[in-house]
Amino acid sequence: MNATAFYFESSMAQESTEIARGLRRRDADLLDRLIEQYQHRLLRYLVYLTGRRELAEDLFQETWIRVLERGHQFNDKYAFSTWLFSVAHNLAIDHLRRKQPASLDGLLNDNDEDAPFDVPATGRASAFDLTVQREQSEHIAAGMQHLPAEYREALVLRFQEGMSLEEIASVARVPLGTVKSRIYRGLSALEPWLKGAQL
Amino acid sequence: MNTDAHERARKLIALAGPETLSAADRPSDQRSSNAWLAAHLETCASCRAFAENAAQTIHGLRAIPIAAERSLVSTTQIRVRRRALELRRNRERLRLVSVSCTAVTLCALLSTVVLWRGFEWLGERAQLASSVWQVGFLVFCVMPALVAAILLLAKDRHLADHTGSYRG
Repeated sequence: MNATAFYFESSMAQESTEIARGLRRRDADLLDRLIEQYQHRLLRYLVYLTGRRELAEDLFQETWIRVLERGHQFNDKYAFSTWLFSVAHNLAIDHLRRKQPASLDGLLNDNDEDAPFDVPATGRASAFDLTVQREQSEHIAAGMQHLPAEYREALVLRFQEGMSLEEIASVARVPLGTVKSRIYRGLSALEPWLKGAQL
Repeated sequence: MNTDAHERARKLIALAGPETLSAADRPSDQRSSNAWLAAHLETCASCRAFAENAAQTIHGLRAIPIAAERSLVSTTQIRVRRRALELRRNRERLRLVSVSCTAVTLCALLSTVVLWRGFEWLGERAQLASSVWQVGFLVFCVMPALVAAILLLAKDRHLADHTGSYRG
């Protein structure tokens, strides 16, 4: 177990070092590969953070431009994904500040008719379980839209990205206690939506 | 059972998260928290329900499919490549300017020394006081900048007059 963990950690560190070296050189091929590799994860994070697909797509592109421009700032002691998400987080905050001087709360769009977390129909699914699961996901997606952006961010980083609490704190630039409270409150706030799904 | 116990249990459930450490690798305080939580869940139906709901919510969250479209990825890659090229050109331009500045500075230093020596030699040959050839050197150095400034001022005045005549 320990040998496996050591191997995993050292290969992660080696990968981070290679990425850092490539980013310092502004290696376009490396960036192409990184965009491919992180496309879904980054977009999902931005969609949850902003609550708007179009804005998320704009920020997705801006994030990679920023990664290119500030690649030399990436510290290979940390995981690339953590740095990438913090760059995206900062861009979202900057975007919001340009629009209105407020916190991430401004990204909460109760009256937005454009549903960003639409759950598309799954092509081959026909089993009852999949239908129930889809309905449940639809309800949770609807619930997510009503959560403050900070909670959405904490939930997606924790449960979709599988980040540690420390990593989330570093991405969101908040204390560890705040991260814990956001996750707890976010999950609690989603509970009624899940119950709605079960009715 | 007080509300603190329920709150503690729910926080532990919410923060249990995706860590995949085996029980043996967990810190002892975490192991004891887990044991406490397991005991609490056996006796508390509401926290058990919360745990089940949290598990379902997390499962539901993970099942929401959000994927980037191919066009978004390719547009991003093109934009990034274009920007990389732009940055490389800027860097090359900056390097060229730096090299030129360094060369000009070196030339200016060398020519100043040579000129100084030249004026000194001329001053000695013409048996002039050192202050005279030094003033001459100063005038010689300042002259190009002075002439350029006068020409620019004259050009500005000419342009101003010309525009004025149109207005008039």
